Amino acid sequence: MHTEVPEVLVHAPRVTLDEILDRVARGEARRESVLVDETFTATFRIVRAAKGDHPAAMIEERVWRVYKKKPDRVRSVLLRQWRVKPEGRGNVRFNFRSGMSEEIVNFAFRPEARRDFHYRIAGRDLLGNHLVYRIAFEPRSPLDPSEPSGLVWIDTNDFVIVRQEVSFKRSPVPILLKDIDRMVVERQRVGDHWVLARLLMRAESNLPLPQLGRAFDVSMHYDHYAINAGVADSVFNAPGARP
Amino acid sequence: MNTIASGAALVALILGGFGTAAHGAPATHRTRAQASATALGPHAQADPDTSLDDFLDEMADSTDLYFGKSAAARDTAGLDSALAYALDHPENQPHERALHFGVMPSLAFNRVDGPVWGGALSVGDARRLGQLRGELQYAVGPNEWLGGGSYRTAVRRGETWWTGLVSGGRSSHAMDRDHAVGHLASLRALLTGSDRKHYYRRDGWAVHLERETATSRVGLGYRNMLEKPLATTTTWNLLRREPKLVLNLPAERGRVREIQLETGLRLPFTPVTVQLDHDVADGAIGSDFEYGRTRVAASSEIGIGDLATLVPQVAYGRQTGDAIPQAAFYLGGAHSMRSLESASRGGTGLALARLDLLGASDILRLAHIPHPAAFPIQAGLFVASGAVWGADPYGGPARPGKDGPRSEDWIHEAGVSLVYQPGIPDPTTLIRFNYMWPLGPGRESRRWSISISRALDLVKPIGEEE
Repeated sequence: MHTEVPEVLVHAPRVTLDEILDRVARGEARRESVLVDETFTATFRIVRAAKGDHPAAMIEERVWRVYKKKPDRVRSVLLRQWRVKPEGRGNVRFNFRSGMSEEIVNFAFRPEARRDFHYRIAGRDLLGNHLVYRIAFEPRSPLDPSEPSGLVWIDTNDFVIVRQEVSFKRSPVPILLKDIDRMVVERQRVGDHWVLARLLMRAESNLPLPQLGRAFDVSMHYDHYAINAGVADSVFNAPGARP
Repeated sequence: MNTIASGAALVALILGGFGTAAHGAPATHRTRAQASATALGPHAQADPDTSLDDFLDEMADSTDLYFGKSAAARDTAGLDSALAYALDHPENQPHERALHFGVMPSLAFNRVDGPVWGGALSVGDARRLGQLRGELQYAVGPNEWLGGGSYRTAVRRGETWWTGLVSGGRSSHAMDRDHAVGHLASLRALLTGSDRKHYYRRDGWAVHLERETATSRVGLGYRNMLEKPLATTTTWNLLRREPKLVLNLPAERGRVREIQLETGLRLPFTPVTVQLDHDVADGAIGSDFEYGRTRVAASSEIGIGDLATLVPQVAYGRQTGDAIPQAAFYLGGAHSMRSLESASRGGTGLALARLDLLGASDILRLAHIPHPAAFPIQAGLFVASGAVWGADPYGGPARPGKDGPRSEDWIHEAGVSLVYQPGIPDPTTLIRFNYMWPLGPGRESRRWSISISRALDLVKPIGEEE
């Protein structure tokens, strides 16, 4: 059955890009402001990329349970550490910051970053009762190679970033890295809160590392969240305290 | 940017730490819904909103396809019991020491101290209980012990960093207090005797408190130091060349009690960073010298599409009161006029304007010249004008001028550079090979130089994380 309705001309001011950027900055700030404490499981993983007949292979995986509480409390409990060579010594030390601002997601949309990036609306998607903006950003100047270009998806119900894809026009550390092929940051909704879900990055080094090769992936996964569940201060004080 | 740079640094660290690979444990693909449903402590389910969730899941699926094993969900078997055990046996956790120890060599070479052998030991973390650092060196030239200690702590409150530093000891300082002596200067002095800096000794202590946000910095400091002149003790170098400079400019001997104010601001809505430093030494606080020293600088970066960046920078300095060499302003070197030798001109006033054009593309690749991917070379152009006026710390006649130089005292230069941007220690660190044309009559004949500096080197960076 085909239904046709007459066209309706809508008179309404379209939200400008500047207004969207302002709202995203406020939305991200509001997202963080309502978080009092959070607990999640974090997984760090390094995988050698597939090459020819050699499939991708995991090199190391570490899993923590992380507790955070405002203003500045954080504790991480290592649950699992797996290495392809168990006798090897991991040289990377992880420190989880106490903040919950998730700057890795919103670095280009913080108020102080507006002077560093150009922005444009790449598209809009209407999904049920959600209008999702796609905003592209790129650095205003190519001086700093660590400033990436990228694309974010913004849910205008909350004006928070729900997904981000990042690319680098040139290597940020050319003496070590040939290229960072792709970087993806995803969020997930837990209750009323948008929080980090995954961070994935594929990079290529200039020199082939023994048994690691050139191309490898680094990823961080975040799941099993408990937000504003009331983490006791004793978790951060007493080594043997339970949450 | 700092977060991403940290991420890139993380990747770089990983590269440094890994050397073996083999087949990894099998990964289990899980959907986002499944991942949130597994129990590991209390958790909250996502609100049912299928449209947006389906949309994001679809994109996540394509991400899974691209990243493969990296994107696969984790095997959760045993994590509940691992958590229970870890909480009951915290002693088995990787030892997160409250005290972090660091040991590093502390080496230098210049014509007043000669070879300087020593080491530094640090204990603690500035972001936790604070960092205590001690340094001990032996200066072979004058046969003197140098060194000292410091305590530094950094506290973050929201988006604001508060940093406190207390330090004391004995050390040699460059006469040009606006530009510290780097390792490259030591290397030049050691290899070829190209030591053009002037030095003096400081004995005493200092305190400094700083508040920094993403866009601003304010610092307040005080120092109480006995400043003494130094004589040249070492004229040899490894390549047995004639030293570029033998005489060391003598500092005025005296006790300096100085209050220091430092401010920096990233101007909103503009790509400009400004900095204002003001130092005051006065007899009222027990100083042998009385002077006021003000320096204002501004730097900017203006992108020309993806091709290049214009970097205009200006600096203005003015010193009043006792015209002592260690409080003067100096012109010359990588951080000011590249066609002048380091700190070869000085005065109680300084004006400098510099414009760099830095290309972003690898010119070797554009020219189809085979080269390692680790060494992309960029091209640069620069022009600069600078002047000093007032009392000459080198003992020459004072150059006329009160708040500015005479027009005939300005000197100019132009040049080209080949630039390598390694990405460490700072993404904007540039290793430059410069070829210069000093402009104007009676100019020095310096034509080429090698320098290491940050792109915006007239101002201190603001908002970079600890």
